[in-house]
Amino acid sequence: MAFKEELPALWVEKYRPRRLDEIVNQKEIIERLKRFVEEKNIPHLLFVGPPGTGKTTAALCLVYELYGENWRQNVLELNASDERGIQTIRERVKDYARTVALGDVPFKVIILDECDAMTSEAQWSLRRIMEMFWRTTRFILIANYGSKIIEPIQSRCAIFRFSMLSKEDVAERLKFIATKEGVKLTPEGIDAIWYVASGDLRRAINLLQAAAAYGGPVDDMTVYKVAGRARPTEVHEMLKLALKGDVLAARQKVYDLMINYGLTGSDIIRQVHIEVFRLDVPEPLKMEIEDLVAETDYRLTEGANEDIQITAFLAQLARLGKKMAG
Amino acid sequence: MSTPSYVPWTEKHKPRSIAEIKEIVGEADYIDNFVSWLKNWRPGEKAALLYGPPGVGKTLLVEVVAKEFDYELFQLNASDTRTEGTLRRLVGQSSRTVSLYSSKGKLIFLDEIDGLYGIGEADAVKAIVELIKESRVPIVMAANDPWDPKLRPLREVSVMIEFKRLRSSSIIKHLKKICTKEGIMADERALKIIAELAEGDMRSAVNDLQAVAQGKKRLTVNDVSWLRARNRQYQAFDVLRMLFSAKRCDDARNVINSSLLDYETLMLWIDENLPRQYTDPEELAKAYYYLARADVFLGRMKRRQKWELLKYIIDFMTAGIAMSKIHPYRFTKYGFPQKILLLAKAKDMRAIRESICEKIASKCHLSRKKASTEVMPFLHVMFEASGLAKRDISRWLDLNESMEAFLKKRG
Repeated sequence: MAFKEELPALWVEKYRPRRLDEIVNQKEIIERLKRFVEEKNIPHLLFVGPPGTGKTTAALCLVYELYGENWRQNVLELNASDERGIQTIRERVKDYARTVALGDVPFKVIILDECDAMTSEAQWSLRRIMEMFWRTTRFILIANYGSKIIEPIQSRCAIFRFSMLSKEDVAERLKFIATKEGVKLTPEGIDAIWYVASGDLRRAINLLQAAAAYGGPVDDMTVYKVAGRARPTEVHEMLKLALKGDVLAARQKVYDLMINYGLTGSDIIRQVHIEVFRLDVPEPLKMEIEDLVAETDYRLTEGANEDIQITAFLAQLARLGKKMAG
Repeated sequence: MSTPSYVPWTEKHKPRSIAEIKEIVGEADYIDNFVSWLKNWRPGEKAALLYGPPGVGKTLLVEVVAKEFDYELFQLNASDTRTEGTLRRLVGQSSRTVSLYSSKGKLIFLDEIDGLYGIGEADAVKAIVELIKESRVPIVMAANDPWDPKLRPLREVSVMIEFKRLRSSSIIKHLKKICTKEGIMADERALKIIAELAEGDMRSAVNDLQAVAQGKKRLTVNDVSWLRARNRQYQAFDVLRMLFSAKRCDDARNVINSSLLDYETLMLWIDENLPRQYTDPEELAKAYYYLARADVFLGRMKRRQKWELLKYIIDFMTAGIAMSKIHPYRFTKYGFPQKILLLAKAKDMRAIRESICEKIASKCHLSRKKASTEVMPFLHVMFEASGLAKRDISRWLDLNESMEAFLKKRG
C-alpha cells in the first residue's frame, strides 16, 4: 500500500476508504469514477452533496487509484475556505501546474474543497484558472450546494451528486469499525447516533469514537452524553436569556461561543434553528422565533458584521418574550 | 422624566476658590504670579499669557481669580472668533469703555489663543497686539502651545506664566474628594490608574472617573480596566451621548460629522452600547432593526462596490436609532466594544485552538473551520473521557502540552 505513515488515531481518518470500492453507497458515482481510472483520463469534476457523504473520500480514492505511489506528487489539495482569496489559489495553482505530471497520467489533479465558500467573483476567476491550465491539470471541485456554484463552472464539469446515506449504510459502517476496534456497540447506540448525526458519516464516526472513549459499551446513554458535551449549551442559555429580556447577558453567551468555541454567526444561527424547537415556549411562538431565525440567517450572508445581526436577533427575541409574558 | 440630565463632574466638582485650588496642587508659583500680575496691572502694561497642557487649570484659575478679586470677566474663546473683525468688535467694546455704574474692574480673557487659525490669522494676532497696547483693562490669554512662530508678537507683549502637568498625587487627591462627595467607596489603586492614564490632565481624569464610577457605590480596579484606550473612547462616549439624546433626525445624522470615528467603528460602539441605553425591549428591538439594516447595507455596499449606498447606512445607524427611542434620554454608562477586549483576552487560547485546528485540518482533509466545528467538539470529549485514546491522538496530531491542556479543560 501507498500508506506507510503511522495509522491515524482518529477513526474518521483511520477508516477512511482507500479504494473506490470501499466507499459506502454512491454506487453509480463509483462505477463512473472507476471508468475514469481505467481510461486514465478525467474531465473536471464537481462533487456536490451533504456533509459526510464521501465526496472528499471519493476524490482521494480516485487520485490514489489514478496515480498509485506517485499520488502525492500529482495532487494538490486546497481548501477554498482556508485560502486567503482567489489570488493565493491562483498563485498556488500556477506554481503547481508549472511542472509536468509524473507517471503515465498526462495531467495533475487539484482538489478544491468547500468551493461553495467562494464568492461568485472568486468563482469567475477560478473559471479562468481552470481554462488557463486545462492542458496540464484537472480540477475536482467539492461543494455542499451545487446551486452556489456559478453556471459557467458547472457547465465545464462533470457533476456528481452524492446522496444522503441511509441508516443501513451508516449502521453497517459503524458496526464494521466497532468490531475492528473491539468496541461493543448496542442497537440503541446505533439508533442514537443516527438520531444525532443522520446521514453524516463523519459525524457518526466521531460520535462513536468519543462515546467509546468512556471505556464502556456504546449505548444510547453514552451517545447522548457525548452529543450533549459536544454541543455547546450556551446556545440554549442564550435563547432563554434573550426571551427573559436580558439582551446583554445573552450577548455575552454569543461572545463565549464565538471566542471559546470558535463559532461564526452562521454556526450559531444553525444551532439556534435546532434549539428553537426544543424551547419551553408556546408552540406558535416557536414559529415566530423561527421566522426571525430565517431572516437573520439570510441577513448574515448579506450583512457585514455578524455580531450586529445576532444581537439584533436577540433584541427581537426579547420583544417576543415580553409579548409572551403579556 | 425629572432626573437631571448629564451634569459633567468637571463642572460639578470644580474648585471654587484659590484656596481650593491650592488644596489640590499645593503652593504654586504660577498662581501667585498671576494674582500679582493682575493686582499690579496698569494700562499700558503687558498682558498675561497662561500656557500649558490641557486640563491643568488655566481657564479655571482665571475664573476663580476674577471672582475672588471681583473682576467682571469677558471671556472669549478665540477659536470661535476666527476673524479679526469679530475679535475687534467683541473685545473692543469692553476694552475701551469703562463702566460708569459699576465699580467692578474688568478682565478680558482670550482662551485658546493658539486656536486662532485659518484666514485672517495673522491679522487677528496683530489686532490682539494692538488691543493689548491700547486696552484700559487687563487682558489675559491662555494657550496650550504658545511657541508657535505666529504667536511671537503676542509673546512680546505678554508676561508668560507656565502651568505644568499636574502630579498624579494631586489628581488622586481630587478624585478621592469627588468620590467622597458622590458617596463612592473607591479603591485607591483604581484612582491611581485613572490618574496615571490622565497624564497630568485633571479634566480627563475627572471625566474618566465619571464614566466609570457614576451611579456606583464601589469603584474597583476592575471597573477601570477598560480605560486604556481613553482617547478614542472618550471621543466615542461623547458621540454616543449626542446620538442617543438626539430628538430630530437631522441632529442624529449630524453626529457622524462630529465624530472622529469612522462609521464602521462607530457602528461597533453603537452595537456595544445600544442594550445599555435602550432597556425597554420595544425600543431596543426597533433600534436594532435599524442597526441591522445599516449592517446589511454595509455588506451590500462593500460587496458590490456601491458606495452611493453609504448615505442609507448612515441614516439607519444614526437617525434610525435615535428615532427608535420611546423613553426620554437618560444618562448611561457606556462601555468599550467588548468583543475587541474579549478577543484580546482570549488571544492565547485562540492561538492554541487555531493551531490544533490547523493540525486536524492537515491530517483529516478538512478546512480549519470544519475542523473546528466538526472535529474539535469530539476531541474535547475524548480528552475528557479517557487516557488511552488521548495518547494516540496526541502523538498522531503532534500536540504539545498546552494543546492537550486546552483540549482537556475546553476553552
